[in-house]
Amino acid sequence: MPFKRFDQARPFATLTVIVIAWALVPTAVKTFSRASFFELTAPITVAASKVRDLQEYWSLRLHTTNELIQAGQDAAHIASKFEFAVSQNQELHAEIARLENLLRLPSFSDYRYEHARVARRDFSGWWQRLVIRKGANFGIPVGAPVIFTGGVVGRVAEVRATTAIVELISSPGLRLAGVIEGDDRPISFQGGVNATFAPPAGIVEGVPLDIIATPALPKRLVTSGFGGVFPPGLMLGTVTRAAIGSDGLFQFGDVQLDERLGSLTEVTVLVPLGAP
Amino acid sequence: MPSSETNLADRSGHLIETHKGYDPRIVSFYFLLAALFVTLIAGLAYQQLAKVDEYADAERKQTQRRIFFPGPRGNIEDRHGNLLVGNRARFSVRLLLDQLKPEVRREQIRIRNNFRATGDKDVPTRDQLMQLARVSVVQRHLDLANAILGRTEQVDGKRLRRHFERELLLPYTLLEDLTPADYAKLWERLPVNSPAQVYTFSTREYPYGSAASHTLGYVGATDDVELEDFPGEDLKTFKMTGTMGREGVEKKFDSILQGETGAAIYRVDPAGNRINKPIQQVFPKQGKNIRLSLDIELQMAAEAKMAQNGMAGAAVAIDIATGEVLVLASKPDYDLSKFSPRISSATWQDAVERGALFPRALAGAYQPGSSFKILTTIAGLRSGVLTPDSTANCPGFFVMGRRFSCHDGHAHGDIGLSRAIEKSCNVFFYKFGYDMGPDIIAAEARRFHFDRPTGIELLDETRRMVIPDPEWKRKRHHQGWAGGDTVQMAIGQGFVLVTPLQMACFAASVARDEVWTQPTLLHQADRPRQQTERIGLRPEQRAALINAMEQVTLTGTARILTEGKLLPKIPGLRMAGKTGTAQNQSAKGIINFAWFIGFAPVENPQIAIAIAIEGDTPGEETGGGLYAAPVAHAIFKTWAENKNQPAQRTLQFKTE
Repeated sequence: MPFKRFDQARPFATLTVIVIAWALVPTAVKTFSRASFFELTAPITVAASKVRDLQEYWSLRLHTTNELIQAGQDAAHIASKFEFAVSQNQELHAEIARLENLLRLPSFSDYRYEHARVARRDFSGWWQRLVIRKGANFGIPVGAPVIFTGGVVGRVAEVRATTAIVELISSPGLRLAGVIEGDDRPISFQGGVNATFAPPAGIVEGVPLDIIATPALPKRLVTSGFGGVFPPGLMLGTVTRAAIGSDGLFQFGDVQLDERLGSLTEVTVLVPLGAP
Repeated sequence: MPSSETNLADRSGHLIETHKGYDPRIVSFYFLLAALFVTLIAGLAYQQLAKVDEYADAERKQTQRRIFFPGPRGNIEDRHGNLLVGNRARFSVRLLLDQLKPEVRREQIRIRNNFRATGDKDVPTRDQLMQLARVSVVQRHLDLANAILGRTEQVDGKRLRRHFERELLLPYTLLEDLTPADYAKLWERLPVNSPAQVYTFSTREYPYGSAASHTLGYVGATDDVELEDFPGEDLKTFKMTGTMGREGVEKKFDSILQGETGAAIYRVDPAGNRINKPIQQVFPKQGKNIRLSLDIELQMAAEAKMAQNGMAGAAVAIDIATGEVLVLASKPDYDLSKFSPRISSATWQDAVERGALFPRALAGAYQPGSSFKILTTIAGLRSGVLTPDSTANCPGFFVMGRRFSCHDGHAHGDIGLSRAIEKSCNVFFYKFGYDMGPDIIAAEARRFHFDRPTGIELLDETRRMVIPDPEWKRKRHHQGWAGGDTVQMAIGQGFVLVTPLQMACFAASVARDEVWTQPTLLHQADRPRQQTERIGLRPEQRAALINAMEQVTLTGTARILTEGKLLPKIPGLRMAGKTGTAQNQSAKGIINFAWFIGFAPVENPQIAIAIAIEGDTPGEETGGGLYAAPVAHAIFKTWAENKNQPAQRTLQFKTE
């Protein structure tokens, strides 16, 4: 009889033993296990992402020729606009280089642009993260800024062999020093506590008292460049409310982030080339 | 043959003890046990039910702590809304010590193991080990901030120990007075969950540096940060350092400027470390703003002019209609921005040595010299001793017991009232002053409130002003009044002592044809015109007085104001005034005090001024016309320029 009773309790005993064993396992082993698990599941994540790309490709194949012609024309218009912007950029770069040379200033550290497809999105209340299909294999470092056409996406939080995890600017774990466009006083930006299906939002502190921001008169918040991580002038969001804080020195407020953060398929990682 | 069952029963009958009935001894034990059990239960119930409040209270006191946060002070503005004293953000990196507990414990073990590994027999004590671990951990966090900012700051072990022992619940300051750019770097690069975080505090800011420093005053640190009606009076309470007005407006209006204290109650662990969010919290609020009557542009114009000759002195300007003080300047002064957030001993010592802490405008008691002749004139006209047509012969001196010389030793010959004021003829006033006698002059001075403080809203005003008379001299010096005392008094010398603020009020009163002007430092847009007792001069008497005062600025001792040689002309502004050069016997020798009192425009008086400059070289002529009048000129000129363009004078706030 006692043996029979032990047999019945064996699963619990085993679980207890495993839990105790896991608690006693050294931290290095745990870290290795976690990393291994991630690396093992990474191909599945990537494969699923590629299947989605394939689905999208075949769905696009169903478009009519007329639609494709129209899309081609639109693309040509956009391309011509970009051509102009590129030439302007080149002129500005030349002017900056001339001024730096004139003032004998060291050149600003530049970035290498690494475009990456989004493999997975996780916008739960806990994790405001993206998994991208490039990692250490493309030299992506932890902390690198990630951007898209609408501005800042976030910062690389973890790098794996073939993938990387990007912490979104909507995450409370990400803080940036921003400025109101046209101003040079730093403002503290932090991701907000975002509900799962709510539009992404953040919060700002340290907004100067003379800045007025309302839903009717929002202010564009861009990166300041002060922190040395993000280059200046990248769009963070729009400050839609600013109210005076308890210290009477600054205002705090809400920032509305780009809703496209929730449907990103491609991002660009700015890989610093290193300071001169 | 008995069966096996029978055998078993028989055998067991020997082994099993049976009880038939109750043993009284055992029963008594039952009662005893029951009584003990009931006692235990009752005791438990008493402890758990009757004394529940007591224990809950003890537990609460042990596990909860209160923290008070001072609210930021209110702003001080000038009459046009320009910010004179505000608050600026002060950025600092602070370490939440309660989050370091596991880190410190690990560090302690590491340090102890290191000592053991090296075979060092001189292993630190537990207390030393703890201190080493704390310093090491805090330095590690400081190094992270150092790396971001490119600094090489080190932890002060003694300060850290003191903080751990006394203020564990309050954050420990790692770096202070960071620039906004430093703040931005740290905000972006310090981990979100790091115990080291950047904080913003407010400290006093003085956009105009030393301007009106004596009037505005400064603040000092205080631990007297209280919040009434906040629960937990019996809890152990920590207070963040607040500020309290120490001088000037900051002190006088401290209760208004002082922000409302915020407070929070936190739950703590047995070591005193904070757990979770506050149980109860009240946010601090900024204090109320104060709008002073000062006009910062006039104030700065006066101070700049005074600084040119580097002499000590005071300048006061008053709005004649309302008594609002437009300028209240004293030199030397101190740079308020060096007094905040704290005053270094070197800064304090320097200010003390220069005499910069003394607010001369309202605490300096000076002999008014010839500027007092206006009062003597009024006394003479009202008493009938003097008429607008009175004349006297000035041979350049007057004998009254001894020889009293005239202004600059000049012999003015036959001279009338108007010219006597214009040229500041002492002999004229010696004569008529003597004829009047000390009581009439003293009574008139008292009518103009020269014998008492003005009552301006500052705590530094002196009470040392003196309007002497024979009774006063007998009491104070135990001597009889001499004729020489009267003639000295008539020209504002001898025992007469007044403050520059009193003289400015006097000038305003004369301009308004009244005997008293109550000065105020608070601006009120709709403040009514002051109305007090009329001086009581007949129109021709008043006209003679005002004309003479205007002649002083045109051709008299203050002609520097209008002649356009040393100072630029002020187009369209008619000024009236009186200079004075009082001689004061100091330890170094005779030093002159230069005076100017006056008002403008003559046809519609709006601003009254009093300037007093202390000469610094014995024997050197520091005349009112040359030293005091230029300061008045700077104020008049700025006032006249701004009068016509008030819209441009208010501070322009940046709007997006």
